[in-house]
Amino acid sequence: MSIAMECRKLKRTGFLPAVLGVGLLSAMIPVVNMAVRTELYVGRQEPPLQILMEANWQMMAMLNIFLIILAACVLYHTEFADNAVQKMDTLPLNPGSIFISKAIILAAAAAILTVLESAGFAACIFKWFGLPEGCWLELAKNMGYSLAFTLPAVILMLAIGSACRNMWISLGIGVAGLFVVIIIPPDMLAKSGLYMFPFALPFQLIWDADGPGALNLLYAAGAEVLIFVGAEALYLKVRRYFV
Amino acid sequence: MNVIETYNLTKRYKDFTAVSNLSLSIPKGTVYGFLGPNGAGKSTTMKMLLGLTRQTEGEFMVDGKTYPKERMQILKEIGSFIEAPAFYGNLSGEENLDIIRRILGLPRSSVDDAFELAGLTQHKKRLARKYSLGMKQRLGLAGALIGRPPILILDEPTNGLDPVGIHEIRTLIRSLPEKYNCTVLVSSHLLSEVELMADEVGILNHGRLLFEGPLEELRRDAASRGYTSDNLEETFLRMIEEDNERSEGKI
Repeated sequence: MSIAMECRKLKRTGFLPAVLGVGLLSAMIPVVNMAVRTELYVGRQEPPLQILMEANWQMMAMLNIFLIILAACVLYHTEFADNAVQKMDTLPLNPGSIFISKAIILAAAAAILTVLESAGFAACIFKWFGLPEGCWLELAKNMGYSLAFTLPAVILMLAIGSACRNMWISLGIGVAGLFVVIIIPPDMLAKSGLYMFPFALPFQLIWDADGPGALNLLYAAGAEVLIFVGAEALYLKVRRYFV
Repeated sequence: MNVIETYNLTKRYKDFTAVSNLSLSIPKGTVYGFLGPNGAGKSTTMKMLLGLTRQTEGEFMVDGKTYPKERMQILKEIGSFIEAPAFYGNLSGEENLDIIRRILGLPRSSVDDAFELAGLTQHKKRLARKYSLGMKQRLGLAGALIGRPPILILDEPTNGLDPVGIHEIRTLIRSLPEKYNCTVLVSSHLLSEVELMADEVGILNHGRLLFEGPLEELRRDAASRGYTSDNLEETFLRMIEEDNERSEGKI
């Protein structure tokens, strides 16, 4: 019910076209890369998915996070732009349910991106690598991890969006967070532990999907989600004292 | 019987006290005019009653229910319009009210009913962001009136309306207790306006309640203080002026 209502609030915001547009653009990256530089990638020893992800995932993950930042800002901008949030606060509605519904919508948007990107990878594997055994399961596991690693950024950006009446502030925080991840070299990210940062986590590539490294990252993502949800719940509880 | 009662309600922001030991009693089925100059604490009081801001001290009851324990039950009974119209600009007027209707669990017909009451029926399909100020004000009122709640809290509802609109809204507010058996708390900084629609008034200045009671009592009070009781606007201004002087230590 609450999710359906939040979906209605997104009318005429361009949310869905943006998700589909970015998803398609992201899915096209490996296809175009393979089409123009085929000889660079075919004939290598690594599994096809590893070749494709190493070649394209940085750009695709960046697009994913950028969309999540923008979408989270749009989701809360509709509440703040004409002060609708105040009206919602005067209605018998748990403010936490608005946040949770928005989080589910944004997570669903991230899932749409994942599905479209998976289709892009699948098309490349089918066209240029044949269909090696177990490739579908590998693709599903990797994309599942990618989606799970995106969730802390989803919750963090929504929590920032819910706290900032001015959309430019939340957008600025999100973009700054993304830039920090991009400008720090990957080895430094790994050494410093910053790869656990919500905007860095979606850039991580998993080759041993059942190994301890992947599971540790998954636990870290889960812990971050719980921490950010807890922080939002606390914020919603105390904000009335300061208004 | 009082529908809204506050006991020593206080709101402090660091070293500024917006509302100080406010004890209000709002009888059921009346239009209660909440009067005071800008910054007197009217909106802050209304926000506290709606749970938009938490009181620093004191407590209040709405229809026998206490805050914050029964906040949800309180909000189910109150239609409100605070400070300025609040709406989703990307949605039409009708879509805005439909969201409120769904939250309140009201039938579909309640949307048309609210538009009818607020006089906005012919513009309901238009995007809310394209409404004029007066239309936005009416949309805010429609949002408060939807489902005909037993208690209405309206903060300066005639702001931005043209004279005809002001008259229409005043007449509507005046008629609500009789038509729908509801209680209206309406704020204004103009006594002349409140005089035309309220049964009871509460006068607030610097967060303190200077007077509470029926308009007749205000007239008697004015006469006893030596003010001209036929001009309540003057009485109101004198009360505020006196209180300001008292605060500054001139009296």
